[in-house]
Amino acid sequence: MLFEDILITLLKAVDGERTISSPYHLLKGKKSGQTLQDIGYYKLHPYFGILPKLEKDVYDRAVQGLFKKGLIVTDGEVVRMTEKASAVKLAPTLLNGWKFRGNEQLFMARLSLLVQTLSHIHQNSRVFDPVVIAEDTQQWVKNYLKKINYRDSASCKNIKEGIVQSLNAVEVDESNKMIVLQRLSGLKIGGLTWEQIAREESRSIIDIQVQAVETLHGWMEVIEKGDFPLLRSLLDGVIQHSALTETARRTEGYFKNGRTLEEIAALRGLKTSTIEDHFVELAMNDPGFDILGFMEASLYAKIIAVSRTQNTKRLRDIKENVPEASYFQIRLALATKGEIQ
Amino acid sequence: MNLEKTLYDAYGFTSFRPGQKEVIEKILSGEDVIALLPTGMGKSMCYQLPAQLLEGSVLIVSPLLSLMQDQVAQLKKMGEKSVTAINSFLDAQERSAVLNNLGSYRFIFISPEMLVQPYIKSKLRDIRISLLVADEAHCISQWGFDFRPDYLRISEILPVLGHPRVLALTATATAKVTEEIKRYLKISEPFIYSHPMDRKNIAYDCKKFSNGHEKLEWLRQFVKTNSGPGIIYAGTRNKSQQISELLNQAGIRAAYYHGGMEHQDRIFVQQQFQNGELEWVCSTNAFGMGVHIPDIRHVIHFQIPTSIEGYVQEVGRAGRDGSPALATLLYSAGDEEMLESLVLDDLPTRNEISEIFRSEDGGGQLVSQGIVRQTSFRIVSYWKTRLTEQQTIRQIEQQKVEKIKQSAKIKKLITIDSCFREYLLDCFDEQLDSKPADCCINDGLDYSKFLSGRKTIAAATKTVTWQNRLDAILPC
Ligand SMILES: [Zn+2]
Repeated sequence: MLFEDILITLLKAVDGERTISSPYHLLKGKKSGQTLQDIGYYKLHPYFGILPKLEKDVYDRAVQGLFKKGLIVTDGEVVRMTEKASAVKLAPTLLNGWKFRGNEQLFMARLSLLVQTLSHIHQNSRVFDPVVIAEDTQQWVKNYLKKINYRDSASCKNIKEGIVQSLNAVEVDESNKMIVLQRLSGLKIGGLTWEQIAREESRSIIDIQVQAVETLHGWMEVIEKGDFPLLRSLLDGVIQHSALTETARRTEGYFKNGRTLEEIAALRGLKTSTIEDHFVELAMNDPGFDILGFMEASLYAKIIAVSRTQNTKRLRDIKENVPEASYFQIRLALATKGEIQ
Repeated sequence: MNLEKTLYDAYGFTSFRPGQKEVIEKILSGEDVIALLPTGMGKSMCYQLPAQLLEGSVLIVSPLLSLMQDQVAQLKKMGEKSVTAINSFLDAQERSAVLNNLGSYRFIFISPEMLVQPYIKSKLRDIRISLLVADEAHCISQWGFDFRPDYLRISEILPVLGHPRVLALTATATAKVTEEIKRYLKISEPFIYSHPMDRKNIAYDCKKFSNGHEKLEWLRQFVKTNSGPGIIYAGTRNKSQQISELLNQAGIRAAYYHGGMEHQDRIFVQQQFQNGELEWVCSTNAFGMGVHIPDIRHVIHFQIPTSIEGYVQEVGRAGRDGSPALATLLYSAGDEEMLESLVLDDLPTRNEISEIFRSEDGGGQLVSQGIVRQTSFRIVSYWKTRLTEQQTIRQIEQQKVEKIKQSAKIKKLITIDSCFREYLLDCFDEQLDSKPADCCINDGLDYSKFLSGRKTIAAATKTVTWQNRLDAILPC
């Protein structure tokens, strides 16, 4: 997927309801209530936090590109897609930012150091400058190497075979797999910088980076689901089993122990609005979330109905039609996506 | 005691490099030492070996984070396991784990700002430090080209540690700087080892152009007809990228390197250069530290460097293998104006000084608001605790005068018609003993020794598919 396609996807989803900077926060993985809410409402999970280091000027330039191509126009504070943009066909993506939470970097760091070490050891070179400096990753790889009996050429072959088979199963273009391989290094073979890869491929750096992340997400998914025990270990602690943010998880703990929203806010020394954000996050992630503890079934039905008939997820529009609901109730109702009967 | 045997047993080397043994002997006999050793001359062995023989730990104060990381990596590479580094990269948990076992480490690296934190100080008091190493000791001097006020605070820790012996290490220092090192580290009669700075295998060249375009054109021709490996010091990040682009367009394997790149990319450029996959690295002065390549044949300064010390240090990365290497300084009319602003740009302005003095809570938010620059903030905050606003202004004025003097010294390189080598040594109060046959542009150069013609690097690692590349990396 190209960076521009991601922007179009994100802007299409929030068409006319958000400002031009909302996709930026989402791509950076900003954990604000607004961003988290958007992810749930608009099903933008794949793109959350895929580019934590995205620079504002790179983003702005890409957005300017969309304006120039006549794909988006401003409408007051919000942006709208043009007809031309609606016609753009978008391919499905392997990106899964919500699941991997930027941890593809950790997976890649482990893999880089592992491959570099095997490359040197199995070509009789014992001393080299490690490509990863982070101590915890170095320690992790050391322990891993000990476990797999790494001096044995069979284990090197097995790992290599695992890489070939699992990467083969990833449904992205071969050139994208090459990007990931170019970020690996070994004896007498240096890794390539983003700029070098981009120059070779005549593409932009940001596109190369997006494609690397997408390939890694697809690859990690294959490794997780498939039968690759040696590579599977590289995912230890990489995949979070709960999609909740840490702070929302703590709120959930109190809630399950019978505390009310106000009590949790007081106990945690946080604003009630913050705790409300957590509840919205819980409602979004937990299909069994008991929304009827927060509003009558009739109110819930009314909110969902208005959202559907008016085709809007804007809180203000819904509030106008359901004045008896609080903003918090509207947000909760929308977070469940109307799936609760 | 047989030092050679210890050296062999501990590290597998059969002999010392020049200077190492003298320095180590003095340390072991309990003296304080200032060692002026060029980079790449095995500075770290001067404390590594004593650590094998002295009881307790060696504390190494290192002012640059990147340098510290590299030193730790190098020690580990030599098989040394008992190493730790206390710096801002450690999170609270890691830090307390390290601090609770502090005495068990043979080598403790620490940054100056960590050194003076009360809790860390108290932990250091409880263990035995047999040797304190001040690395890059020239940073302690406000006359030095790399002044870091934090570094002055080393003197605060000495009584806490019970005045261990001190080893001050630096690559380059003038007599004035050496005096300040003595004063701040409270070492009155140190043994001073000064490695002859003169590197006979390096020849000094200088090319002058009437404009920047001619300079670029000359560079393009030069790299087309000469092989690396070489470093082109470009002055700014932007320029390093431009020059790298120019070389790549000419079909030359080059990459840029500067502090604005992500860490992984910087490691990749170092790898490629080390592997011989790159001929040229176009860099700001960030490149060099942690690069251990003996056969660099060319160091080209695309712009006048900002100090003589910096210039000598950068040039000194060439020809570590002892074979002929050429240092080429490029100049085009008007370059010196940029130099002036570049040099003075680093210093806090009057406005920054008064903003920091006026702020009541330390002024940290001034940086995030963009009113005060990070470096200015560091420098002024230091002086704020010691001087009045007026005194600080005077202090900075003094530094300004000094910097202008320094840049006048470096600018003189462009205009002198006498020997480069003699002039450079004179800046460090050293005498020239003899000139090599190929000395400098003003003594005449036989280029044939340095200009080797062009060997093209085979594009052996260029692979077509990802499977090919994996096979090349893991041929198992
Ligand atoms: Zn000369």
